[in-house]
Order: sequence, then structure tokens, then C-alpha cells
Amino acid sequence: MSLNKNFFAGVDVGSLAAKSVILQDGEIFATGLVPSGVNSVESGLNALNLALETAGLKKEDLTYIVGTGYGRVSAPYANKAVTEITCHAKGTNYLHPTVRTIIDMGGQDCKAIRIDKDGAVIDFAMNDKCAAGTGRFLEVMAGVFKVRLEDLGAIALAATDTVPMSSTCTVFAESETISLVARGEKPENILSGIHHSIANRIAGLFSRVGIESDVFFSGGVAKNIGMKNAIEEALKVTIVKPEIDPQLIGALGAAVLARSFSKKEGLWA
Amino acid sequence: MGLKTLEKITAALTSRPAELEQLRKQGKKIVGWLAYNIPEEIIYALGLIPIRVGQGGDGRLVEVGARHISTKNCVFVRQVLGQFAEKTDPYIKQLDLVAIDATCIQLYRLEELINFYFDYKTVVLGVPRNFATKEGHEYFRKEVEHFTKKLELFAGVSLEQSKLQEAINIYDGIREAIKTLYSYQSKDNAPLSWRDVSAVINAGYNLDRLRYLELLQELIKEVEEKTSEPQENQAIEARVFLSGSLIPPGDTKLIDIIEQLGGRIVGDDLWSGLNFFLNLEIKEPTPFGVADAYLDRIPHASLPYLDLPTDGRLANLKHQIQQFNADGVIYHTLRYCDAFTFKAGETKDVLKNVPFLEIHTEYSGSDFEAIRTRVEAFVEMIKNKKEIAELV
Ligand code: SF4
Repeated sequence: MSLNKNFFAGVDVGSLAAKSVILQDGEIFATGLVPSGVNSVESGLNALNLALETAGLKKEDLTYIVGTGYGRVSAPYANKAVTEITCHAKGTNYLHPTVRTIIDMGGQDCKAIRIDKDGAVIDFAMNDKCAAGTGRFLEVMAGVFKVRLEDLGAIALAATDTVPMSSTCTVFAESETISLVARGEKPENILSGIHHSIANRIAGLFSRVGIESDVFFSGGVAKNIGMKNAIEEALKVTIVKPEIDPQLIGALGAAVLARSFSKKEGLWA
Repeated sequence: MGLKTLEKITAALTSRPAELEQLRKQGKKIVGWLAYNIPEEIIYALGLIPIRVGQGGDGRLVEVGARHISTKNCVFVRQVLGQFAEKTDPYIKQLDLVAIDATCIQLYRLEELINFYFDYKTVVLGVPRNFATKEGHEYFRKEVEHFTKKLELFAGVSLEQSKLQEAINIYDGIREAIKTLYSYQSKDNAPLSWRDVSAVINAGYNLDRLRYLELLQELIKEVEEKTSEPQENQAIEARVFLSGSLIPPGDTKLIDIIEQLGGRIVGDDLWSGLNFFLNLEIKEPTPFGVADAYLDRIPHASLPYLDLPTDGRLANLKHQIQQFNADGVIYHTLRYCDAFTFKAGETKDVLKNVPFLEIHTEYSGSDFEAIRTRVEAFVEMIKNKKEIAELV
């Protein structure tokens, strides 16, 4: 590892997790992912330090840092803050240049983003009015079934039937789920219903933004296979297979932007 | 930006409530009014003092209003009702009569409620749903005639043609002046901003109209003197155009956010903004002449769907975006303002490649961060696009 090369970092502090990516020479050098705490500055630093440790670097070795996610507004460690919408666009384009549509599902919101061939955002829509279609919602559901969040999607795949779920409000959906369980419905069928109802809601987000292939699914929820399948069905698309953990895409985009900003500011040639 | 006339306008506004108190003691009567289709010229010509009422942006007043009206009404209507309930607003507490038009059915409801609960004398002006037809015009002519008669009775005088012509001249002058100010604010190196012009418009609704016209002319002169030549290499701007539901005085949330994030508002087609002053040509100083002119203006979104190719509101929007050289549109809708919310999709479709962001909100701060993220991404998107365009 040569230290005279430039390192760029992106730090994405979301509501459930903080992520970081360090880039060197256009390659992903190290990443970090930690759960978010109440203090968003600390969460961001924890994620960054984790990546630095893996890379065997110190913070001083970084040429430029871009902060994103809801924690971007208080990120004293970052040189610049950019919204997660722009970062997801950049990160996706960096890995998958043919993608034109991104579905991003994070801890507390869900976004539909359209991009061009350079990864510039053309249009976007965002749902953050309620927890439906977010990691938080699925977390509550995992709680109801007493299973791990990571296993939720896989369980839904075993469904033999899809029990329709009428509520997308977390509070109502929770009680609706409990009554469905009491009625004797199988957990996998209920979970399949939950995933489909969220996917349909997401399809609504795209009604104004439109869909153009290729389609990519980013954010923490993208790791949920049940969700991925339900979205493919609802939007009638095939989702591009991610090259890295899709939860890191925002941080990756931030690191890519850190590289361009520092170049523009004349920090390297 | 240190314009002396702006300070004068602020001072005139500060002393206006006390001035109105004096005028009332001398027997003058004040008519509060709302909304897009009330012909102020007639009120003024009858020697009455017109004041446009209604503010936004205050969640507490919305709650006060909501004690008397369903929460399924837009926050603006709820807040105005709250203002009438509290009667602490320096203008609302001095009103002798309230004139409301039925352009939006929610305002019509407001009229019934302030009359029923708070004992205000009210007059309603009916507005046809089908304003493009002959029948619509006939209906509105009769409505304006009827409206005039009611006001004549209230004022104790009859409408004189010469007085109406005088009023029309003053209002024509105001309309021209506002248009001029709008074109100045959108220039590079303008000595005043969209926000300044918006404050000037809002002040005008409370001031004496003749005095206001003088102030506007003075302001235009000052602006002309202070507009400097644009410099080369201006920084990349995100020039934002505002459309959608009204943004009344007091409601600064979205405007603050746009400005904080480096966006520059350069124009609007809001009824609380420029649209009110556009395309109004009164050909004959009679109630009929006034009625025809008001109906032929750019239609308000609460009136029914028109054929897309002939919808004057959309044609005007497209024209204004070009005129003000805007990079994108932020379409602002208030919760339960169905009129504008339902038209968001069609507006976006019609504008095709113009970057478009819909912000659906109400008068509480709870969605501040959510709006911030959207607007920030929108500003990034526009700047990014311009940066790339500059490179090639
Ligand atoms: S048009 Fe919209 S904002 Fe205006 S009064 Fe009607 S519902 Fe309210």
C-alpha cells in the first residue's frame, strides 16, 4: 500500500445504520458498516474508523470526505455534504453504468430515482410520510414473528399462498398481522403478503417518476430477497445483481463524489 | 439589499392598522376579501377600503380554526378561520364586511363559518365552474352585478362610472408595476430578490392603493438606478420557479429552505404571487366589463379541468418559466388542497423535460427535514446538469 496515493471517503449516516467506503485509485479499498446510535456524528465516525482500521489508514491520510444520509447535516468530519439521492445515483452508476432507475429502501424512507448515463439525477420521488416500505417497518414485522430481520425475506419465499395485507401503516399492520396469526394463517404466507403490499406501494412512487431499465435496488432493505422478488413482480422488471453490499451504495457514491470534488478544488491533479 | 423604498413600504405597513383605526372613526368602512376573483376595483370605487386577509404558516392558528371546521380542509382555510376566531390580527379585528368568492369551494365554506360563528357580515361572489362558456360569462356578469348592489347598499352610495374608471386606472398601474418588478428581480445582479417583491405584493394588499402605486413607482425608479451590469463568470445558480397552492404571508418554510440550500427563486405562477396581476384588461368601466375581464384571466386551478392544449394556466406556466429563465419548477401543494394537488401530475407531464419537484406540505415544522432533503437534491440535480452543460 503506498501512502502517497490519494484516498477518498464517503460516510452515509442513516437512521438504522452508518456506512463508509474508502476509495483509492478508483477501487474500493475498505468499507465499514455499524448500527446507528442516537448521536449521528459518533455513528458516522464509528463507521469511518472501522473502514480506516480495515485499511490500515489514519483519518489524516484521507484527501477528502463527503457526508451523506440524514446525518449529513451534522458531519463535522466531512469536507462537504451531499444528499443521499445524488449519492445513490453516483454510487450505482459507478458500479453499474447501464442502470437508469434506482429503488432505494433505507431505514426510514424509500426513494425512486431516475438517472442518466453519467449517473446524474433526472427525477426522483421520496416517501417518508410513514414507515411503510422501510427497514423500520420490516424490523417491526420481524419482531412480531420473533425472527431475525435478515431472515424475513427468505421465510416469505417459502409461501404457498399470499395473504393480502390491507394496512401499510406500521401500527395497523402490526395489529393486522397479529390477528392474521390468531386466525391460523401461516407466517410465511402473511410475510409474503407484507412484502407484496410494500412492493405495491413502491410501484406507486414510480407512477410519476417512471421506470427505465436497467433497474437497481439499493439500501439496507435490498438485501431482503423476499422484497427484491416482490418488487420485481410489482414493477415487472428484473433487478440488476449488486456487485457489493447494496447498503453501501450511498457511501460509495459519496466517496466517488469526494474524488471529483477534491479534483475540482485542485487538491490533486 | 438596502433599498430605501422597501424601508418606506415596511414603515407604511407598520402604521397602517392605526391609520385604519382613524379612518374608521371618520366613518370609513373596511372590506376584507379573499380570493382570486374578487374585483377589488369595485370595492375601492365605492369608497370602501379593501384589505386582503389571510395568513399562513402558523400551526397553532390552524388548530384554533380546526375547532370549527373539518381537518379535511386545507391548512390555509383552517388558519384563516383561526384568525377570525381569535380576532387579534390587526386587520381582521377591524373589518366591517368580508367578501369571499367561491373560486375554491373551501373558501366558500369559510364564508359560511365566519358568518355563523363569529358574526361577521359577509358577501359571497359566485364563480362559474364553466368559465369558458357563454353561460358562464352570463352567470358571472350577474354575480358581479349582484355583488356590486350588495356593496352599494352597504356603502350607502351608488357606483359611479367615473369612480370605477379611476379605480381601474390605479389598479392597472399597480399591475404594470408588479410585472415590471418581477422582471427586474429575475435579472443577474438585481438589487432586489423574489422574496422582496413578494413582501411588496403582500404589503400592497393592506395599504392605501393610491399611496401604494406611488411607492411602487418610486421603487421601480430606485431599482432601475441600482441595477448594475452583470459580471462575467457568474457562479452556477439553481433558478427555481414556484407553482401550485398559494403561499400567503407568514408561510416562509419552503422559501427559507430553498434559499438556505442555495436555490434562487426567480418567478412564480401563484395566485398569491404574480398570476393575480396578469392578463386583466377591463375594457368597460361597468360591473359587466369587470366581470368579463376577471373571467378571461388565467384560470385558477380549483376550476374544472380544461382541455390540456387550451388550459390558460398551463400555457401561462410554460411561458413564465421561459420568461424568467428558470431551471426547474417546485410545485408546492398544501395538504387537502385538492385543486392543486390533483393537477400536479398533469402539470408535470405538460412540462415534460423541465425538472419538477412536488412538495406536499402543511403548516407545521414536522416535515422540515424531509422537505430539506428533497429540495437539496433538487438543487444538486439542477446545478449538476448546468455544470455538465458548461463543460461541453
Ligand atoms: S385553492 Fe387550495 S389552498 Fe386555496 S383555499 Fe382552496 S384548498 Fe385552500
